[in-house]
Amino acid sequence: MSQLLSFALPGVPYGCVFALMAVGLVLTYKASGVFNLAFGAQAFVSALTYVSLIDGGWPRWAAAVIAVLVIGPVVGILLDRLLFRRIRTASPLVTLVPSLGLLVALPQVAIMVVGSIPVIPPPALVGNAQRVYLHLGSVPVSGLELSVTGATLVVVAGLVALFRFTPVGLEMRAVVESPRLTELAGIDSSRIGLAAWILSSVLAGLAGVLLAPLYAQVDPQNFTVLLVWGIAGAVIGRFTSLPLALVGGLALGIGQQILAGYLPPGVVANGLRPSLPFFVLLIFLPLVGTSRATDPLAGCDPPTSAVERAVSGYRSGATAAAGGSWESLAGGAVTSVGVWHRRLDGAAPTPLADRFTRRPTATLALVVGVVAVISALTWVPPDWLFTMNQALAVSIIFLSLTLLTGMSGLISLCQATFAGLGGFVAGQLAVHFGLPVMIGVIAGGLLAALLGVVVAIPTLRLAGLSLALATLAFALLADNILFPVSWVGNGAGGVTVPRPSAGPISFAAAKPFFLLSLVVLGGAALVVKLVGDGTMGRYLAAVRGSELASSSVGIDVTRLRVLVFAISAGLAGVGGAMSGSLEGSLSPDAYGYQVSIVLLAVVAIVGIGSISGAIVAGVVYEVLQQAVTTLPARFAGLVAVLFGLAALSYTRHPEGFLDVLGGRAERVIERARNRRATARQGSGSVPPPTGGPVVAQAGGMS
Amino acid sequence: MTAPNLTAPNLMVVTDLTKRFGGLVALDAVSLQVRAGEAVGVIGPNGAGKSTLFNCLSGLESPDAGTVIFCGRRIDRMAAWRRSRLGIGRTFQRLELFEGMTVADHLLVAEQAHTGTVRIWRDLLHRGGPSPAELDHVRQVLGLLGLDDVADQPVATLDLGRARLVELGRALMGAPRLLLLDEPSSGLDVADTRRLAETLADVRQRSGVAVVLVEHDLDLIHAVVDHLVVLDLGRVLADGPTVEVLADPEVRRAYLGALA
Ligand SMILES: Nc1ncnc2c1ncn2[C@@H]1O[C@H](COP(=O)(O)OP(=O)(O)O)[C@@H](O)[C@H]1O
Ligand SMILES: [Mg+2]
Repeated sequence: MSQLLSFALPGVPYGCVFALMAVGLVLTYKASGVFNLAFGAQAFVSALTYVSLIDGGWPRWAAAVIAVLVIGPVVGILLDRLLFRRIRTASPLVTLVPSLGLLVALPQVAIMVVGSIPVIPPPALVGNAQRVYLHLGSVPVSGLELSVTGATLVVVAGLVALFRFTPVGLEMRAVVESPRLTELAGIDSSRIGLAAWILSSVLAGLAGVLLAPLYAQVDPQNFTVLLVWGIAGAVIGRFTSLPLALVGGLALGIGQQILAGYLPPGVVANGLRPSLPFFVLLIFLPLVGTSRATDPLAGCDPPTSAVERAVSGYRSGATAAAGGSWESLAGGAVTSVGVWHRRLDGAAPTPLADRFTRRPTATLALVVGVVAVISALTWVPPDWLFTMNQALAVSIIFLSLTLLTGMSGLISLCQATFAGLGGFVAGQLAVHFGLPVMIGVIAGGLLAALLGVVVAIPTLRLAGLSLALATLAFALLADNILFPVSWVGNGAGGVTVPRPSAGPISFAAAKPFFLLSLVVLGGAALVVKLVGDGTMGRYLAAVRGSELASSSVGIDVTRLRVLVFAISAGLAGVGGAMSGSLEGSLSPDAYGYQVSIVLLAVVAIVGIGSISGAIVAGVVYEVLQQAVTTLPARFAGLVAVLFGLAALSYTRHPEGFLDVLGGRAERVIERARNRRATARQGSGSVPPPTGGPVVAQAGGMS
Repeated sequence: MTAPNLTAPNLMVVTDLTKRFGGLVALDAVSLQVRAGEAVGVIGPNGAGKSTLFNCLSGLESPDAGTVIFCGRRIDRMAAWRRSRLGIGRTFQRLELFEGMTVADHLLVAEQAHTGTVRIWRDLLHRGGPSPAELDHVRQVLGLLGLDDVADQPVATLDLGRARLVELGRALMGAPRLLLLDEPSSGLDVADTRRLAETLADVRQRSGVAVVLVEHDLDLIHAVVDHLVVLDLGRVLADGPTVEVLADPEVRRAYLGALA
């Protein structure tokens, strides 16, 4: 018993912090319809403020007040005004990308503002963190445990009082229970939304300040991990119940420490604890959304089935009310990002082939591409050639997202995991078994595809946000259990991946490797294009449009989904292997879950709806990183800032900036052509060239 | 209206179908039969369980108890896509269109899905396009429903009446033996509803497909249906020839009374 207690007690502070995060996530999710993944970054910003102020000589209480009660809400309100307010009713991808971008960018921006992370160990809120103040039985209780628990108790008591006794608290509770009912009752839900947003930001700030002393230094990474635990707690609360989320977070914090205490030390035990959120998500996510019975208005609409609710995810009061039938379809067109079979402007869908051959910009793209290739093979200096090589490899990984997220609407946050596995397999086979690297690349792709199947099967019932969270947790699981194993990622040591050769031809030098990468990328692009043009593309579009209707016309949605996950993971695996071979070695860090987050956000921002989007994303991603290294050190965070701004503007252009720029260029070219044509007509010459009518996909119809 | 063919074999036999959502019993031991080529109407107040019945028949929800036999096979545990390939087509009360796709593509997807699995290898060999026979069938159904002129339009541009026809057409693509139509007239005006009734009669006459029609519009029921089932709170309140059922005092009290 006292052993259990001695394991459980150190978990209490973690549990408290997880619980605060979980409650904050549920609160904003229900009150504003946005699942705020930037929450971890908000916690970090408060923690950084706290530590920086103390480092600057402030008393602890004052630093905490500023960090939690001023900076926390200010950041929260800013985010709400600048961003989340505008995307409440948007599709899952459109709500997810900006918050993912902020999750990554915000900490970097904050670090730039304060200069650098102070190197002092963050002190506890009150008392001496290390000192033992009392004993529970024979188990010592430190100042850290006392202060965190005490602060949490005070806050929870305050929350209970707020929700019980104040009008705004009651209204907030009402919103959480049934946003629609609350709105019908004439309560201004945007005011309540703001209150909920402020409150949850305070909770995030507090969680950050409380978490900080648990580590030697304030590190953004710890706060992303904190976020994942908070998500697990929120999922236990089914995104709906504040008390359950609180209990869930607490139980997770204590449970992980007990788990660590009883398991024998080793890779599995070390890895199992941080992967706990994955199992929690896998078990509890399918239950989310079946809480229909809790909404008193649930019976007033034509019922939706579990599948549909999972697909459409949560809808705010306004859209749910309007979503009777037809309006929701029309409204959906505005907010969704299906760019594959149709243009966002509602014009007739353009077959994929036409997107390349008929657009005036296609010629431009071709010219740029040819110039780039010729330059790479002639005058580009080695470090930039390396960057171009990197761009080709990462483009392949981006293509895997084009297929999975752009075409199929499945949001994956573990694409880097697939890529990593591909690279590790290629390296291990080459180094330990002496297999040719190209065989290793193919094997890496195949094994990654297999891993894709492994991910697809347990997540079959999930869609939208739920799928994104589950894949994120899977990435975390792989980072902690799969990649440290010596015959996979070999932990911190990494894996050597040689450059390939085919018989007498060696691809070791940069230029031959560039050509090889080009061919592999071309192959990957061809796969995506053929899949998109064929039956499978049509099925995928159908499933994205309506999963229910797809299965009712005879599409085996399960099989289709497993298949597309496998193909996508396979492509990512090949991309990872090519990238590993380029770098010469591959460490698990390079393919951690944060990388998956960045990859998804980048390709979405550039254009997830087209093959060219993936390639341009690869170029932009690598070139920007390389460009920053040529700048003075203090601009190191610049990429992060750019990235954050791009993520913010993404909500206005969910089709990606490539489409926006392409559209503009097209108009300019079109206008110039017309001008030339009219000029020629004026001089009595040939009629203007016509672009030809856009032929629909079922081409032979008319 | 065709005369009910009482000698036709049973196409579908539903026995004691039960579905609960938590404590709520949405379907309570529902039994009914549909003969080949017959049109059965299902009426009942909102929340009676009509859509839930369709979901259980088409495989989108799995029943807690009871059996469904279709063409002599038990299908109540079968996946929705399998049932569709066996010959059950359906439409949705709340439209479920493939947003972003054209009308013709809706039908083409249904046609291809009905006959094949995912043809990934053909796709990769660039042989994934529609076959002439598939396109022919699509064109035929477009003509039948009068949708030729909007074939290449995205569905989002259609009015509600046309959109419901697209759903009907999609359900017809696999040459189904049974059509489940969930309130096809809801949201349509009188003229649209009359046209729908004519179209339905036309479809039935050409293909001999059996129809289960959930409707609130009694005119449409009268125009299409041979035989009527009344559901209330998940239970079958009455089942028999349309005229008799509508004259049943209990039915009038539970259902029509509320309307009149
Ligand atoms: N997925 C579901 N979860 C919970 N309750 C549901 C679900 N689907 C339907 N119901 C409930 O079952 C009952 C019957 O619904 P439904 O079949 O849609 O009725 P009808 O189509 O006759 O109007 C209603 O009370 C409805 O709220
Ligand atoms: Mg219904």
